[in-house]
Formats: sequence, structure tokens, C-alpha cells
Amino acid sequence: MELEIRKLVRDYGTKRVLDLESVTIEKGTRTAIIGPNGAGKSTLLNIVSRIDVATEGEVVYESEDPRLVTQVFQQPYMLRTSVERNIQYPLRLRNWPEEGMKKRSNELMEDLGLLDLRHQKAWKLSGGETQKVALARALSFQPSLLLLDEPTANIDPATTAEIEEMLLKINREEGTTILFVTHNLAQARRVCNRLLFLDKGKLVESGDCQEILQNPKEEKTRRFIAGELLI
Amino acid sequence: MDVISAGIAQAFRLILSGDQEIVGIIGLSLFVSFSSVILSTCLGMPVGILLGTHSFRGKGVVLRIIYTFMSLPPVIAGLTVFLILMRRGPLGYLQLNYTPTAMIIAQICLVTPIIIGLIYNLVREKAPVVNRLGITLGAGRLEIMFLMIREMRIGLTAAVVSGFGRAISEVGAVMIVGGNIKGKTRVMTTYITELKSMGDYSRAIAIGIVLLIIAFVINAILYNFQEREGK
Repeated sequence: MELEIRKLVRDYGTKRVLDLESVTIEKGTRTAIIGPNGAGKSTLLNIVSRIDVATEGEVVYESEDPRLVTQVFQQPYMLRTSVERNIQYPLRLRNWPEEGMKKRSNELMEDLGLLDLRHQKAWKLSGGETQKVALARALSFQPSLLLLDEPTANIDPATTAEIEEMLLKINREEGTTILFVTHNLAQARRVCNRLLFLDKGKLVESGDCQEILQNPKEEKTRRFIAGELLI
Repeated sequence: MDVISAGIAQAFRLILSGDQEIVGIIGLSLFVSFSSVILSTCLGMPVGILLGTHSFRGKGVVLRIIYTFMSLPPVIAGLTVFLILMRRGPLGYLQLNYTPTAMIIAQICLVTPIIIGLIYNLVREKAPVVNRLGITLGAGRLEIMFLMIREMRIGLTAAVVSGFGRAISEVGAVMIVGGNIKGKTRVMTTYITELKSMGDYSRAIAIGIVLLIIAFVINAILYNFQEREGK
């Protein structure tokens, strides 16, 4: 088990945006979180990554080191330094030796086609390049759990494919558990093997990704999938 | 027109001749302004960062007061400091009126709110994203604080330079608490006022040119820094 969500509630004022009974994410899985806007998908990720705090309930991690959980956002913030130093920043926090940092950042830049951009100012990159740097930066310290909040929204198909390929690679080679919020059902099908469908803060359906997308059990899920596929 | 051109020519002769009185006045002006800006930065930067990153009861009132003090008329600041420091005032025993220390105190009253206000707005805008990034990459509280200062260095520098601009160009407050005493509390702005009333326009223009050159040099340094960091 990578993490367990126990009776998780998040209220903003009088509005309840998240109300989950119990969810378990198994180690090494790639889980898509889908649902309409306002379903609580991003709130769930933010609580798991500790940038938000639950009103009630708890998230139990397998790893005792909270620094092994990381998140990539739809619009990542780039530090005002080079691409290479952005990727190495988490490693500097962890006091990696200079050689090790160089080796790890080179590997990631090579995998994501960023080597030519290594000395570029990171805040001047295009949307797709920025997203790749954000992914490389998040992966630099070999997190146990990677949270992604619509990382490929507004990104061209070629870059999206590179990012998806990278996610499958690190899941396969490093066993990184992935929680992936997406509106793109085709992408969920390509990248993920598990699926959570949320609506109005509640878990409607969960299970095998392909199975739910093909034969959803719940009416809400069926209507959502039909609607998304029409778009 | 002749008066002005003759004044400018004489001004350059005065500057180049290294007139001892003018050198002393320039030195005191720089000492008072730099001292007040350094102390205001030490006071204003932590307060601005705290206001930008924390919420508390009464914050709105505090901010309204700070915004009001950002446009505090210098004569009011000068008068207030003078009354507090005068012989029969609460701090009269310190005997600070008509000393450079009193001038520094008066300028701190003018500069600190400007630094707090500018830094508060900068931090309020940028802190949430930097904080979010720091948490998700495994940075601790102190590391996030350093990261914020590093990421906002251009804006922080601009805030300090704005404070310096206010200090070096200010005349009302230093006139009231300093008294424009020759060789003791006479600074460039108060000297220009006196020279004008005496009809000595060439010296007034000379000091004015020096004041402009100092403002130009300080702003050129800031501009170069912003260009280097922002490009």
C-alpha cells in the first residue's frame, strides 16, 4: 500500500468540497482521478501533497518520509534560474553531492529532450518545455508517490506523448506510484491502470481503469464518460 | 536663462573643485539616507513578508494604517519626531534633536511604511506559488523563506531603492528635526532650500546636479540588476 485515505473531509467555509470514506492506493499503481469540475480532484491531490489540510480525517502514507511525495501542477512555477538548476533544486535540498546531481539531472534531461535547454532561463520556456522541466524536477529525487494535476492540459500532442512515455518509464523502472488528475479519458486509458471517479467531493466508482471506462457500473460515471467522449 | 546656464557652468566647476563644504554635505546626506534605508529594510522586510504570508485578526486595519503612512507628509513625520525628541518631550532626555540621529529616525518613519507596503504586495502575489513549490519539493520552513527571498530579489531590491529615493530627496522632515545646521545637520536638500532663499543659484544647481547624479547611479544599478536577473 502506498497510501490510505481515511474519512477525508475538506470544507471551505460552509461548502464541503471533499467527503471521501476510504480509499487505498496500492504501491506502484498508476491511478487516474477523473470527474467533472468541482468534484474535489485537485483538493484531494493538494491534501495528499500536504499543501492543503483536511478538515477531518487523515492520509496515511507507507513512507514515513513526507519528502518522498511530490506534485506537478498544471501551471508549474519555474525558479528564476537555469533549467539545470531547477531540476537540481530538490537534490540541493537533500544535500546530494555535485557529481550525483549532475548525473541525475543529465539522465532526466536526456529522457525528456531537455539537454539543449540546460543553460536556458527556465522562466522563459514554452508551456510544453516548462511542463517537462517541472516533471524532471519532481522526479529528480526519485519520489515514491508522484501527483499530477492536469499536467498536459494546453500542451501539444507531441510533448504530451513524451510526458506520458516518461511517466510509464519511471513507474516501470523506479516503481513510482502515480496519482493523475486528468479530463482526458484517452490519456487515462493510455497511462493508468486504476481509476477513481469523483463527483461533488464523493467517490462514485473505483477500480480497474480499462474496465470502468468500458463498462462503468454507476450511472453517474456512465453519463460522465459518455459526455467526455462526445467532446 | 543666463542665470541658469551660468549656474550650471559654475556648478560643474564647484563639483570638480572638490569644495570641502559641498563634499561634507554630500557625505552627510548619503550617510543619513543609507542609514535610514538599511534600518528601515531590517524593520520593513520581515514585517512585509509576515503580512504577506500570514492572516490574523485586524490585518485589514494594520494594512490601512501602513498604506496611509506610505504617503505620510514629511513635515508631519518631522514634526512628530521633533515633538517626541524635544527637551520637554517623552524622549527629550536623549537630546537627539538637531543631530543626524534625529534625521535618521525621521526618515525611518517615512521609508519603513514604503518598504513594508511594497514588499507586502510583492509577497502576497508570489508567496503562495513559491510556498506550494517548496512544500512539494521537500523544502522546510526556513528553506522556503530563503527561496522566497531569492525568487523575489528583484522586487525586494526595487522596494529598497524606492525607499532610498524617498530618503535622499526628502527635505521637510530633516529640516524640522535637523535644523540645517552648517557642518552638523546640513544635507543636500535642506542646503538647496537655503541657497535658493539666499539667491546663490549656482551652488543650488550644483547640489541639485549631484542629487540627480546620485539618484541616476542608484537607479542605474537597480536597472542593470533587473536586466541581468530578468532577461
